[in-house]
Amino acid sequence: MGELFVGKSYPRMDIEKVTGQAAYINDIRLPRMLYGKILYSARPHAVIKSIDTSKAEKLHGVRAVLTGYNTPEVRVGFLGDQTPLKKGKVRQFRDEVAAVAAIDEDTAEEAIRLIEVEYEDLPAVFDPIEAMGKDAPLVHEFDARGKPRRNNILPLPWKFTAGNVEEAREKSAHVVKADFSTQWVHQTCMGTSGGIAEFDVNHNLIFRSVTNVPFGGKDRLDMFLKGLGIKGRTRVLTPYVAGSFGSKLDTDIYEFILVLLAWKTRCPVKILFTRNEEFTASPPRQPTLATVEQGCDKDGKLTFRKVDMILDNGAYTSWGATTPSVMMIPISTLYRVANIEFQATCVYTNNIYAQAMRGYGNPQATFVVEQSMDQLALEAGIDPLDFRKINANVPYEESPLGLKITTCPMTECLDAVRTKLDWKNKVGKRSGRGVGVASFLHVGGGARVYLSDAQGIILKVDDEGKVTIITGGTDQGQGSETIIRQMVAEATGFRPEDVSIFLGDTEVCPWDVGTHASRHAFMVGHASLIAGAEVRTKVLELASKWMGNLINQDFKKKARRDPDFKPPQLDMSILSDPANLELRNGQVFVRDDPENPYFRMPAARILRKAHMVGTGKGEMVTAEAFYDPPNEMPGPDGKGNVSCCYTFGTHGVEVEVDKETGRIEILNYVAAHDVGRAINPMLVQGQIYGATVMGVGYGLSEEMQVNHGRVMNANLLDYKVLTAKDKVPIDAVIIEPFEPEGPFGAKGIGEPACVPTAPAIANAVYDAVGVRITDLPLTPEKVLAALKKKGDR
Amino acid sequence: MKRPIRFTVNGDVVEVEVHPHWNLLRVLRDELELTGAKQGCGEGECGACTVLVDGAPINSCIYPILEVEGRDVLTVEGLMSPEAGLHPIQEAFLEKAGVQCGFCTPGMIMSSKALLDHNPKPSEEEIRHAIAGNMCRCTGYVQIVESVMAAAEKMSRDD
Amino acid sequence: MRTFDYLKPTSIEDALQLLSLYGEGAKVVAGGTDLMIQCKKRLVSPNCLISLRNVSDLNFMDHSEGLRIGSAVTHRTLELSAEIKGSFPVLHDAVSNLGSVQVRNSGTIGGNLCNAAPSADTAPPMLVLDAEAKIVSAEGERRVPLTQFFKGPGRTILKPGEIVTEFLVPPPLPNTGMAYSKHTRRQAMDLPILGVAVLLSFEADLKTCVRARIGLGVAAPTPMRAEKAEAFLEGKIIDDASLGKAGKIAAEEASPRTTIRGSEWYRRDMIGVLVKRTGLICLERAQR
Repeated sequence: MGELFVGKSYPRMDIEKVTGQAAYINDIRLPRMLYGKILYSARPHAVIKSIDTSKAEKLHGVRAVLTGYNTPEVRVGFLGDQTPLKKGKVRQFRDEVAAVAAIDEDTAEEAIRLIEVEYEDLPAVFDPIEAMGKDAPLVHEFDARGKPRRNNILPLPWKFTAGNVEEAREKSAHVVKADFSTQWVHQTCMGTSGGIAEFDVNHNLIFRSVTNVPFGGKDRLDMFLKGLGIKGRTRVLTPYVAGSFGSKLDTDIYEFILVLLAWKTRCPVKILFTRNEEFTASPPRQPTLATVEQGCDKDGKLTFRKVDMILDNGAYTSWGATTPSVMMIPISTLYRVANIEFQATCVYTNNIYAQAMRGYGNPQATFVVEQSMDQLALEAGIDPLDFRKINANVPYEESPLGLKITTCPMTECLDAVRTKLDWKNKVGKRSGRGVGVASFLHVGGGARVYLSDAQGIILKVDDEGKVTIITGGTDQGQGSETIIRQMVAEATGFRPEDVSIFLGDTEVCPWDVGTHASRHAFMVGHASLIAGAEVRTKVLELASKWMGNLINQDFKKKARRDPDFKPPQLDMSILSDPANLELRNGQVFVRDDPENPYFRMPAARILRKAHMVGTGKGEMVTAEAFYDPPNEMPGPDGKGNVSCCYTFGTHGVEVEVDKETGRIEILNYVAAHDVGRAINPMLVQGQIYGATVMGVGYGLSEEMQVNHGRVMNANLLDYKVLTAKDKVPIDAVIIEPFEPEGPFGAKGIGEPACVPTAPAIANAVYDAVGVRITDLPLTPEKVLAALKKKGDR
Repeated sequence: MKRPIRFTVNGDVVEVEVHPHWNLLRVLRDELELTGAKQGCGEGECGACTVLVDGAPINSCIYPILEVEGRDVLTVEGLMSPEAGLHPIQEAFLEKAGVQCGFCTPGMIMSSKALLDHNPKPSEEEIRHAIAGNMCRCTGYVQIVESVMAAAEKMSRDD
Repeated sequence: MRTFDYLKPTSIEDALQLLSLYGEGAKVVAGGTDLMIQCKKRLVSPNCLISLRNVSDLNFMDHSEGLRIGSAVTHRTLELSAEIKGSFPVLHDAVSNLGSVQVRNSGTIGGNLCNAAPSADTAPPMLVLDAEAKIVSAEGERRVPLTQFFKGPGRTILKPGEIVTEFLVPPPLPNTGMAYSKHTRRQAMDLPILGVAVLLSFEADLKTCVRARIGLGVAAPTPMRAEKAEAFLEGKIIDDASLGKAGKIAAEEASPRTTIRGSEWYRRDMIGVLVKRTGLICLERAQR
């Protein structure tokens, strides 16, 4: 029997978002709640000579003024290289120097202005190359353990090698080498960051958080409590989240400050960032410098790839420093190449630091690899699309990194672009119009970056035939609330409208590693299949037990009302084996006799009967699953099958370049994506459209302008997120090879459409006007400058 | 010094004590507990705070509160009616997935309403012009445009 | 945000009286789309805002002869005016892509010009239309050509106690084409990297230029006219070549700066390109 709900474009079910009822962190107010504000550093690198908080403390309505000098020194962050409130010196403009809690926002803001800090400037370093130099000022004199540091290079030696690059280079017919750079870009969620912390009488912390890793966040906050000597434990509650795109992966400094303020005041305290703070004090995507060298043989087969990267780490370390772990995936496995060398060096500077953003290192890596692919194709005299086809990944092959590719329709994706863009009639004209292409691969079946990559769910079926799924994941807008209902309905035999979702409470929900790495639908789908099968079995067992009884009851009732009624002769024995029964659409019926009206009834009736038996032997149906996918944690050499499947895709773009202004116009855009199977095609398209436009912003308009450590364009006017008028005409092509490792055949699809966008555009610009822009974004100024340099204007 | 003002919100006359320097969004959210309109930037750039004043969409985060005296304000909460249920624009945003994280949605819907009230059959270009001041980071706008198109279709059928 | 009082006079007389009463601490506000933000960011801290929104005498348009626009007319009103679109398309070009619909519903032409940002979208069009500002105070009224109105970024010739009540535009000559080009990084919600307005009036042959006006935004500390380029064009046949040359002259006259929004060299280059392109639109519009 075919599937009823999976594979269909169900409308979105988060109705409260269109009525204004959905309560985001912005909308939550608690009794006695105070408002917190943070004072940031006025210097990029300086000794804190003194902090005078006396005026702020005297301001009416101020309940707490905290600094690094009146709070315990508890280290936080991935490398433990900072404390929430800074002491001794500041290392960047976003250093949190003091924090206040007050009865309202205006008072808190006023109090912040009354704090006087005296600094003594230190020499600062903003360029990662300079920061690697021998005489560069040290951003950190000591590491988290108090050991003196000799330079600014982080103890994170990202490295991967396979085969023999030197030998392969010797044998190559063609070799290209080039430098590239990528910029800081900001996740720019439409809702700014914020949280509310409060302590109960037993010193347990209740934390309303916008995190997308409630349990990871809980762990970090628990550890912080322990550091503070507070005996309680943390309960994380997540309200509606106004976008994430990676920004909610780490526990941010303001969240630890909230804990300090709530503990000090014993009142709920809320911090909500201004848009300016969002840009200046929340960590964006990691900028990179890269040197890429690739070679191929005379037939165009890749022989080797060598990538050296330098990452400006900023002053502290969050997840940005770990993005090379994902960069390894495209660098080692995007197209078939046997000999690989990759290394990445993270360097402390006095700049802002970076976090995760949609794609997690993959956009940067793919930008450099895919431009180098075009350079090499040109060098070898092969059409760029053909060149990629020659080297395309194939199904069921293990890559040098140990990635076990399962389904892989990369060739179909390349062909879709070829056809839809009319590639062969458009490529190579240098007429001001041009076409470009870039592919990607990304994790599609979770990513084991922790020892557990699991997802717990509980299914509870009540006696009205309604199913509640209790899950530890979060929805940040991707549509989980819709597709989870579809998948649970499919797995259990109920209908999507019978399913409700409970999430966002670590006290109630089973453990989940977090909604990241495009994993939510994949994991919940698998867990739903396991728990759903159990629900189905249990319901059918109850049906087998009670259906006959209920049918006879009906007959008796009818006979009482209608003396002429003669009950039909039914073979009730068929009901005695649950294997003969089926549950679909919330109805139980006999599998081999589905049209028989007597043998069909709502599961709700059976469940109620089983519940209300009157003998002390009532039963109810629940089931649970803790799905931990069969993927591997990468070893110290970087190798391991980190995801149980990988998703592939190709973007092709046609641009027109205005040779007088340098402006790039996107005329056509094809985004061909392997999704395994679309659980909800409309929502898959939504992910592709949204991520593609975000990727176009990365390619063309978005850039945090950081000058001597200061973010110069910390507002939505000067940080150029695209508007509705910046139309990108996207043709989203969904390719469904049906992934055997995936639930219902599906792969994860949340991130990857923002990955190949920028290189596809850069390649198209080259095809249009013959200039290669190697640093992002491709602004009209850069294009025009390159055209002038080439003598084309 | 606070002073009282009267205006209409979603059909109800309200009287509120306000400080003259407050903006409309603050009063809607903090005083009237209408939290549908959101603050995304506070500087009139993102459009999440869009509400209609006398039928015209404005950024309520920079709209001086005293200017609403005697005027008619419509927020997203005023679209749904207990009798008729969701407004066709709200339905269309669900049916065509014009909603993702939902933060821009109330403002987006109000801009769409203002457009459709004056132009019942807008072209794609007109829709994009009308919602250009409502930033969305999730959807890439494609399905929002489709939602507004679908809403126009629904509303013309309802007439 | 610092607190301030907010006053809503309904006549010009009342507004002037309040202005003299509150003196230096007061600021005149129209739509508030700039000033409310400046207050939030504490870039200005007035004790009192005097709103012109409710002064009906400032909210009018009259196109019986030339054009008169009350200073409190919103951009949206101008955008939707068939008269503006038909007879003064240079202004329509500017107001239809200024901010967003929401901003245009509040923001006014008076506010845009009196705020005196180098990037003010309505300034180049009003400059090429030879607009004058009518300024009133308790002492009386005066008229100032817009060419003399701007003093520097955020500064005008307005003296304390003065209010701009309207802008007056003389009727254009016959056979005139006019257009505004806004060079931006994105298609909406943006300030111009460069704004160029051009107005060209032609002989009956619709080729020979009898009057040329070129207005530039973000090309100098204030919106400016490129008078040398204008003089060059007058009497010439308008085509690619003459407009290209005029563009180069205009680029030399201008003094753009490097900011986070664009480099000096790029802005200068774009003056050359956009003067030419906008001039060609004028030619086409005049011939239509």
